[in-house]
Amino acid sequence: MTNPVLLIVIPLLMAFLSIALKKSKKTLLFLAAIFNVLQVFIIQNGNYIIGGFKAPYGINLNLDSYSHLAVISINILFLLVIVMSSEKINKYSTVLLVSLAGLNGMLLTGDLFNLFVFLEIVSITAYILSTESKKYKYSFNYLTLGTLGSGLYLFGLIVLYAIFGSLNMADISSKMVSYDANKLIVPMMLIFVGLAVEAKLLPFNGWAKGVYGNTNSLIGALFASVYAGTILFVFGRVFGQVLLVSSYLKGVLIVIGLVTLIAGEASAFSKTKLREILVFSSIAQSGLVALLFVSGLIFPAVLQLLNNIIAKAIMFTVAGRISDEAATDDVDSLKGLFAENKLIGFAFTVSALSLIGLPLFYGFYSKINLLLGLFSKSSLLVAAFILLATIVEGAYFIRLLVKLWDPGEEGKESNIKYITDKKVEFDVSKKIIVFALSLIILLAGIYPSLVKDNLFNTDKLLNEDNPSYMFNLKGGM
Amino acid sequence: MIQYVSILLMLIGIYGLLINKNIIKIIVALNIFEVGLNIFIISVGFVSGGVAPILTSVNNSSALIFVDPLPQALVLTSIVIGLGTTALALGIARKMYTTYNSLDLEEIGGINND
Amino acid sequence: MKKIVAILFLGILGFFIFSGIYANDAFGSFGKVNLNDRVSNKFITKSVTNDNEIVEYNKSSNLETGSSNYVTSIVVNYRSFDTLGEVTVLFVSSLGVALLLGSFGGKLTLKYKANFILRVGAKTVFPLIALIGIYIFTHGHLTPGGGFPGGSMIASAVLLLYLSDENFRAKMSSFKLTESLMGSLYVLVGIFGLFTAGYFLSNFLNTGVVGNLFSAGIVPIVYVLVGLKVGSELTGIITDFLKEEVNE
Repeated sequence: MTNPVLLIVIPLLMAFLSIALKKSKKTLLFLAAIFNVLQVFIIQNGNYIIGGFKAPYGINLNLDSYSHLAVISINILFLLVIVMSSEKINKYSTVLLVSLAGLNGMLLTGDLFNLFVFLEIVSITAYILSTESKKYKYSFNYLTLGTLGSGLYLFGLIVLYAIFGSLNMADISSKMVSYDANKLIVPMMLIFVGLAVEAKLLPFNGWAKGVYGNTNSLIGALFASVYAGTILFVFGRVFGQVLLVSSYLKGVLIVIGLVTLIAGEASAFSKTKLREILVFSSIAQSGLVALLFVSGLIFPAVLQLLNNIIAKAIMFTVAGRISDEAATDDVDSLKGLFAENKLIGFAFTVSALSLIGLPLFYGFYSKINLLLGLFSKSSLLVAAFILLATIVEGAYFIRLLVKLWDPGEEGKESNIKYITDKKVEFDVSKKIIVFALSLIILLAGIYPSLVKDNLFNTDKLLNEDNPSYMFNLKGGM
Repeated sequence: MIQYVSILLMLIGIYGLLINKNIIKIIVALNIFEVGLNIFIISVGFVSGGVAPILTSVNNSSALIFVDPLPQALVLTSIVIGLGTTALALGIARKMYTTYNSLDLEEIGGINND
Repeated sequence: MKKIVAILFLGILGFFIFSGIYANDAFGSFGKVNLNDRVSNKFITKSVTNDNEIVEYNKSSNLETGSSNYVTSIVVNYRSFDTLGEVTVLFVSSLGVALLLGSFGGKLTLKYKANFILRVGAKTVFPLIALIGIYIFTHGHLTPGGGFPGGSMIASAVLLLYLSDENFRAKMSSFKLTESLMGSLYVLVGIFGLFTAGYFLSNFLNTGVVGNLFSAGIVPIVYVLVGLKVGSELTGIITDFLKEEVNE
């Protein structure tokens, strides 16, 4: 039972069964999600080959502390998100089951082509979930870009296969060392574009605004935390650990990450709708995390990624619920909303402040780490840009929080009569989970050693400059 | 040679994606791209003088020169995935037609304005 | 104007890709690939887990994979996990189509009237096409073909019936049941392998002599499951697309 393949196949089995057992498909979804959450704590690190054929000939699953951390966080967040918005699941149970299987597959697989298959499964579930908002042109746009992106990814990996004669990540990684990196720019770039479409990096994120901006509480939280987290973990795996990027290409990728960060924060600043602000904040955070992964700062990148996905799970659930109930998510018409929903407001505030990186919050710890990391690599310019982006981020989040808490008109004393007439009810499960998640952020901010000792202590590799465990593990070879 | 032709086919597909406004034409362009990609994958496995990778009563020993069977297996997966996305895209297109009564993205209002 | 910009952009992109690929030795020598440099070499000699020199048709027996079609041995043995994923892709996209077009009802009326020859002819060739489909997926380990082509062939036979007969309705509930059952059985075959041999989807049956119909262990079993599943999924997609729009 310690085999991580069960994380993928049990949800898949439930998905197939749920077609026949129509009435109990929601139960099957919860069963699979709970099973996975229990299973992630049982599985043991190592290489697991499938079909009994050793790597690089067969497919293998690579469970090291990086992917272990990834499956733990993603599976727990998945369960929390579906519990929080369980009333929205209805007909999407089977799709969600398949997506759970695909997400775990993406995180665990040690084979580039297998990653493509799981990427495709996850993106198809994402296209289907995005049609829920009935804004079909956005879904169609997403589908076109996503299919093109994964096609380019496939193109890139076939070029790698033609050069190295293998599809196994560890095998390619070890053969790449003795190959001229400048000759690999084309396949690397193609793979990067493929992943960048899903990771919402500029200029491949044209779909994100329409799709994220029209989501309800379930799908928004799922996209912004679970899906975005997974794709960034995979990005970190592929570009931080497997593929050796030449210094020229590294420069290009860092610039793309930086531009995404700045442009994302700037666009968020100019928006007035709650969900659109959050979308652009998500885009900016993706840029930041991708930038850190490419720079080789795996540990700070993971910290920042966890910060982002936990905060976004809270914020998108709240924002989705608000727009479902109030039929608008324009910030100006929601003034003083949190004055009546203090618990929710508290959680939202904590996550916003943690995203900015204020002291006492977990985000502070991750920002300090990433800045120290950049200083140690003497990338002072990049650090300066990140600080600039933080200021912009701080400005719009504080403005947003003030508006949502304070029932007043600008320049006048706050008064109860200006409070929004929109009533938003939050059910108990949402309140409890959102509050608990925000407490985790607070706790991890006050005692950062808690995070460090429990999650990373056993693993020196994550702290190392250029993690080379792909070589150490050899992917089961 | 065929490798370059397949890349050209992919570029034609991307060109179609860039300039077309009709949903069905976009789906066709996407398919042209995928066909180009599939031909490229197959071409990577070509070995001149190799026989098809099936053992038969004629080609009865693995000592013969075969073409690379792995790209052929990959392309099978790629074709099926392409089929899946095309089916879904057509589903969305049909739904778009019932919702907006048009197949033209510009008439529908483009992506940027609601 | 837009076209010129697009052509310029693609020209740059094309130059970038062509020059990048041309720089690699792997592409300069098209057709001169040496399989010894690739993982496929061991797929040909079927020697990933044990060392055999040469595989001979109708002689070699009890190899790690007994399929005489190398592509099949890769699809269903060496990279079987991909195939499970592939089946899932088809499954989820047919599900997506059903969710999208689920509100539609009835059946599209045909623009033409099916004449006598079409009606009778379709009914006559239907069992033949279905039979050939079944032949293709049961012989997937010996000849070209397998679960996916066989399954699509069965679905095409159903499409023929739809086109020839306005009143024809596929019994979707039984197709759904087949789909669910076959998918679950595929996963269960894998899990059975996990508990008996220790690896998910491992081959727990005797692989027999290369080239025999009853050989190759779990390959024919998996291909029958995949074939039936693909057939019912594609039938589901066709049925959904042939539904008439209902004004909501």
